Amino acid sequence: MTPADAEQRLTGTASSEAKLVARLRAGDEQAFAELIDSYHGTMLAVARNYVNTRAVAEEVVQEAWLGVIKGLDRFQGRSSLKTWILRILVNTAMTRGGQEARSIPFSSLAREDEAEPAVEPDRFRRPDGAFPGHWAAYPANWGALPEDRVFGRETLGVMQEAIEALPTPQRVVITLRDVQGCSPEEVCDALDVSDGNQRVLLHRARSRVRAALERHFDG
Amino acid sequence: MAESADHVSCQEVVELVTDYLEGALPGDRTALFEQHLNFCEGCVWYVDELRTTVSRLGEIREEHVPPDTRERLLRAFRDWNRS
Repeated sequence: MTPADAEQRLTGTASSEAKLVARLRAGDEQAFAELIDSYHGTMLAVARNYVNTRAVAEEVVQEAWLGVIKGLDRFQGRSSLKTWILRILVNTAMTRGGQEARSIPFSSLAREDEAEPAVEPDRFRRPDGAFPGHWAAYPANWGALPEDRVFGRETLGVMQEAIEALPTPQRVVITLRDVQGCSPEEVCDALDVSDGNQRVLLHRARSRVRAALERHFDG
Repeated sequence: MAESADHVSCQEVVELVTDYLEGALPGDRTALFEQHLNFCEGCVWYVDELRTTVSRLGEIREEHVPPDTRERLLRAFRDWNRS
């Protein structure tokens, strides 16, 4: 069972989530094991964006889990359990990241007014000529590439490198949304950013990863 | 990149694509976006590429909790429960 399946079974509905919380409070170890299996990977991926090494990220996640255990009795269900857990994680990671001088002022970095084109402007026809803003030359058609080139394992490595190279806010958002499959609401709640902001970050991140793949396929 | 009321350019499509895929584009802009895709093969490819990128990103997800970490956390849970 993948973490996504486990998560769906675990907290797919409000009532299944309420049952899960009740089991956790009753000390049901199996319930806690399922929780770990569902969210540990997501938490680690998020933590890695705040601290410098995987080892420290592991520590942060374990510390956050201890916070979850201690806080279970205080969980009031005003947000989803996942959102609540991610918030504990982010707080733990920021505290730790601050100590390591890599904390992130999200609101100040996620500025929508700073231009960052998805595709280099020189790929389009100039504003003063015919068909302004249309492709000067079409992007390469991936559909015409050998399938294993687009869908092979190697592509995953290229994407991972591209994600590593992103500015931190973009890296956090694309990791949560597209790698870990979080909803926009979960991202906004965990990171305390607006829906518009997370979408701008997601857009820039996806555009850069696509561009990295394009360069890879071109080479 | 000028926005005009009656069409979107390729350069606008590559900026609107996330809003489009997220269902965050207003209805009239959605119509213009899709209208553009009807005649622009380059943008169809571009949008497909972005979809492919997003779907492949989901394959990176880590699946494995290290056994010793898992055991340590379960022990912490047991201890909390006993106290």
